[in-house]
Amino acid sequence: MSTLNLKIEFGGGLELLFSNQRSYQIALPSLVPKDNSTAEESLAMKEMKALDVDYLIHHMRDHMLQERVELFMEKDTVRPGILVLINDTDWELEGEGDYKLQEGDEVVFISTLHGG
Amino acid sequence: MSSCENPNTDKDALMTRRQKFDGQTKICVKCKQNTGNVVVRYAVYCKSCFFLLVQTRFRKVLEPSINAVPDEPRRKALRAVGSLVIGFSGGTSSTALLDLVAKTYFAPRTIGDAKDDAALKGGKDHPRNAEKGIWKGNPAVCYVEVCGAFPGEKDRIEEIREVVGYAGKPFEYIPLRLEDAFDPNWWDRIGGGNIGTSARILGLDLSDEGLRLVHSSSNLNPHDALRMYLSSLPTQTAFYSAIQILIRILLLHTAASRKASHLVLGTSLTALSVNLISGIAQGAGFAVAEEAKEEWNPRPEQGIKVRVLRPMKDIGMKECAIWDWWNGLREHGRGKNAIGALTRDFIYGLESDYPATVSTVARTCAKLTPKEGSNGVCIMCERPAQHGVQGWKARISIRSYHEASSAVSGKSRPPHLTEDEISNLTKFPVNSSSATSNSASLTARLCYACHTLLTSRSSRGTSSNPAGNSSDVPLPLWVHPTIGSADAGNPVDNQGEADEGTRSVKLSRKDMESRIADFLLPDSE
Repeated sequence: MSTLNLKIEFGGGLELLFSNQRSYQIALPSLVPKDNSTAEESLAMKEMKALDVDYLIHHMRDHMLQERVELFMEKDTVRPGILVLINDTDWELEGEGDYKLQEGDEVVFISTLHGG
Repeated sequence: MSSCENPNTDKDALMTRRQKFDGQTKICVKCKQNTGNVVVRYAVYCKSCFFLLVQTRFRKVLEPSINAVPDEPRRKALRAVGSLVIGFSGGTSSTALLDLVAKTYFAPRTIGDAKDDAALKGGKDHPRNAEKGIWKGNPAVCYVEVCGAFPGEKDRIEEIREVVGYAGKPFEYIPLRLEDAFDPNWWDRIGGGNIGTSARILGLDLSDEGLRLVHSSSNLNPHDALRMYLSSLPTQTAFYSAIQILIRILLLHTAASRKASHLVLGTSLTALSVNLISGIAQGAGFAVAEEAKEEWNPRPEQGIKVRVLRPMKDIGMKECAIWDWWNGLREHGRGKNAIGALTRDFIYGLESDYPATVSTVARTCAKLTPKEGSNGVCIMCERPAQHGVQGWKARISIRSYHEASSAVSGKSRPPHLTEDEISNLTKFPVNSSSATSNSASLTARLCYACHTLLTSRSSRGTSSNPAGNSSDVPLPLWVHPTIGSADAGNPVDNQGEADEGTRSVKLSRKDMESRIADFLLPDSE
């Protein structure tokens, strides 16, 4: 199975939840379970889909987030107040969680919770 | 279309979320040429048009209020009567505000403007030429460090100094601390005025609603005075609201000491909506207009009138965050609070699903005007205070279970409170003689919100004071000159209403006619 290399960046203080690191390079499989399950187990019986932003968010919650899940995710998507840019473009223009990730895509998560 | 039926009876009646972007076109609505990069409340903008949009909205709020006479027709040039102070917290919208002010009004001259430089007699740094700008003197960036109120929090003064340094010349950095509000040295440095020996040693008795002023025996340093003041407040909400009030008044006095005519704050549209709703929830509805824009008059010897503006108030938090990211700016924010946190979570959820609602909150509140005018300024928050605060409180609430004991019986008593707890909550009824004793009281000088902040009781009990003493609580220094001066400054006219409330007298038709006789038009034949 092929993998896709992605760049993840954080802004607005969100890096505090991810080991205080502002930038990550990660590799994810191009085909992932449709139910967004990120456990490393047999995938033979699971229905698959192309890697999308929804799966990326679940992967980040399960494998990268150090603390306070509720500050990052709420009801299977990012918490209100967190902006997502895909290749410098608002994810709302790219279909939000349904956007199919490509090789070399850059995804930025910006928290607006430190207002004022 | 969305439905307004009852979702409990009809499961299909839930309001469906409108798509923020309908997928029709990704082309920028402004230039109609470039592919869009961001969606701002249902509209698509490319990067260039987004920058222009934000800057235009920023200037549209700020510039009409720069000249002494706002919105004059055929305004020729922007010219303020004083200097500029920028309140900076390190958060998202503050960072965007500082960047916008720097780029719009203090952009560095490009190399090669020899013709312009030669025209400046004495050089571009000569004081005479500093006044060629809109504001007099150099702008100041003021940051209030709040770690004194939060044990264990990092002191970020030097970190913020670096951030302000990136804005470059001519911005001056003025760090303050929350405890400066209790520091006589700071008060003297900014020329706050003579407090007077007797006023300096006044404390506040928070143990009952009378809010009596007492001769203070404590000799606390500013940091301990701050901790004691905050820990004596009755609720968690009051704790965070008091911090916000302290920050705002510290900024105002600093602005006055620099002869500033404008204090700009980075409140975004989202934050404004949060502040409005949480403020109303805490009894500050009378001052909704001041949340967006206000004018503050310092004492005559202290400075000129300061206009407090929030130029980011038409710009959402999303736009601020995108501006910061695309300009390579980094935020240094922090903070949470009680009612404010709940409101913020609610508003942020609204903004995600129904973005237009947030701007609706701000627009609706902008239309509100108080039913009655104000004839005083609250001594604590220095905002207009409504007339008849104590009378209003007496009319809308049972102030004492002792008074209401005949009306409250059996199931009317709150079941979760014991008799001792009820007795503690109502130890000093409002009408008792102790409330009208000879000692001065702060009550008559406060607006409704500040009085509630100091006296509101939670059924869970009051927050604990480590010293175990809420009868001698230090006061912020700006309260003292008003108490100490002979004419008591500008108190709210509640003196006669503390206990009695207001009485209405029914006039006869003849009396009414005689009162308005001068305004009646003659009957025409």
